[in-house]
Amino acid sequence: MPASHNILRFLNVTVRYGRTPALEAITADIPCGSSTAIMGPNGAGKSTLLRAILGWHALATGEIRLGDAHPQHLLPRLAYLPQRHTIDWDFPITVRGVVEQGRYPSLKIFRRPSPHDHALVDRALDELGLTELADRQIRMLSGGQQQRVFLARALAQGADIFLLDEPFAGLDLFATEELTHILRAWAAQGRTVLAAVHDLELARHNFTHGVLLNTTLTAAGPIAAVLTPDNIDRAFRHGHCVHDDPLRPARSTEFPR
Amino acid sequence: MNFHDFFIQPFSYEFMRRGLLSVVLLSLSGGLLGCILVLRRLALMGDALSHSLLPGIGLAWLVFGPSTPALFAGALAAGLMTALGSALLSRLTRVKEDAAFGSLFIVFFAAGVALISKLPTRLNLSHFLFGNVLGVADTDLALAAGVSAATVLIFVVFFRGILLESFDPTFHRATGGPGGVVHMGFLALTVLNLVASLQTMGIVLSLGLFLLPAVSAYLWCDHFGRMLLLSVGIAMVCSVAGVLLSYHAGLASGASIVLCLGAVFFGSALLSPRYGLVSRLR
Repeated sequence: MPASHNILRFLNVTVRYGRTPALEAITADIPCGSSTAIMGPNGAGKSTLLRAILGWHALATGEIRLGDAHPQHLLPRLAYLPQRHTIDWDFPITVRGVVEQGRYPSLKIFRRPSPHDHALVDRALDELGLTELADRQIRMLSGGQQQRVFLARALAQGADIFLLDEPFAGLDLFATEELTHILRAWAAQGRTVLAAVHDLELARHNFTHGVLLNTTLTAAGPIAAVLTPDNIDRAFRHGHCVHDDPLRPARSTEFPR
Repeated sequence: MNFHDFFIQPFSYEFMRRGLLSVVLLSLSGGLLGCILVLRRLALMGDALSHSLLPGIGLAWLVFGPSTPALFAGALAAGLMTALGSALLSRLTRVKEDAAFGSLFIVFFAAGVALISKLPTRLNLSHFLFGNVLGVADTDLALAAGVSAATVLIFVVFFRGILLESFDPTFHRATGGPGGVVHMGFLALTVLNLVASLQTMGIVLSLGLFLLPAVSAYLWCDHFGRMLLLSVGIAMVCSVAGVLLSYHAGLASGASIVLCLGAVFFGSALLSPRYGLVSRLR
């Protein structure tokens, strides 16, 4: 697939929390129809980068462009998937109820969902294999099914750029496999996926592109070119947790000679 | 005692009719608000908040007399000071948010108790804390009707926004929803309802009218909309039952209503086939 067109561009993006920089002068391009893993140690700014796209953080410098526009004008094209632990799974809502929320942003006040809205919800449920489960309360699902409900909501929204915050956190092996399949199929259909990912090996095998950062950008581009031992070492050398780097778990611990 | 004596005769008195109408109106808005308090895990915060309104109400009464706008402004100011104060305390000192809230509200409450003991009225503290359904005046009834109508209208118009903000605030904001407005509006609406139920239920017991129907409905429903409806239904039925109980048994009115609601809650916690105790026994 030609990846000549860049759908998302970060130009010299800096975000600060008070005085502390969370992102420092990030410049990177995200090709259209790619699946990009955002990687880095804890506190590297992975989530901040995703939220900056949605306009939640004022940029101290630089800009983020979606095609030729600023992302805030094209919010319907962007779907954000929250981290699993932020959801109250006991909430009185069914699978269909959550997926219908994808249509809310485009519904005017007082306007009831049209047949077109219902069709979009049905199609999203069908694509993610949730039709049978549509009337279940969301606690009565497996972890992978729960993740799929939120993917379906993003589809029903009509988005084509998907921002996923740690989508693999808390998923078992089978559910992880399932999710990577879905994300790969999406990228193949020309949808753009951006995901904060903790596990570098998972990213290497399932994403086409990568952004490796630790407040500043370490590398960005095709995944194999980004995840070189040298780059990983640079991003993780002063990481907060040595175990974030699965390739060299004890490397950053120094013993006196 | 026949049907007429039990259900109709009590309401031959005007003060009974007024009291009943006012609690039924407040059940309507309280049942809705309570659901949001429960689903957003603000139940304890709501309790603390309601206690902390007391000094604002006392001070407003002392300065302006029993004027409704003044009482509301005083209550709102006290509520906001507690919320902001505890946020500041937890951020700037070692004290955690829950401890900050707990400490601040009890100080506010004490200040309120002290203030009210100085009030130049025949009303005593227990009136503010527990209310009196039978003492509802026309202005109280008008306030209850206004607040109730406003609350219901807001829930109808902004239903989707309220659902999104309760279930997944990040998604709500990510899709351009006015998350902050919904949140602050909700706090203001809670304070408004607490003030409106001051005369009827008092600031302590009115929270029971908000919370108990909502937790009961939470044990039965898997749909947000149905939970709201059931909660309002439970609140209304228990209000009527409570007023009748208080009349026939000669009990304090607010307490009777809360006891009826409590009975429904314990019944639900025990018998709800999916989320109650019985579901664990099978």
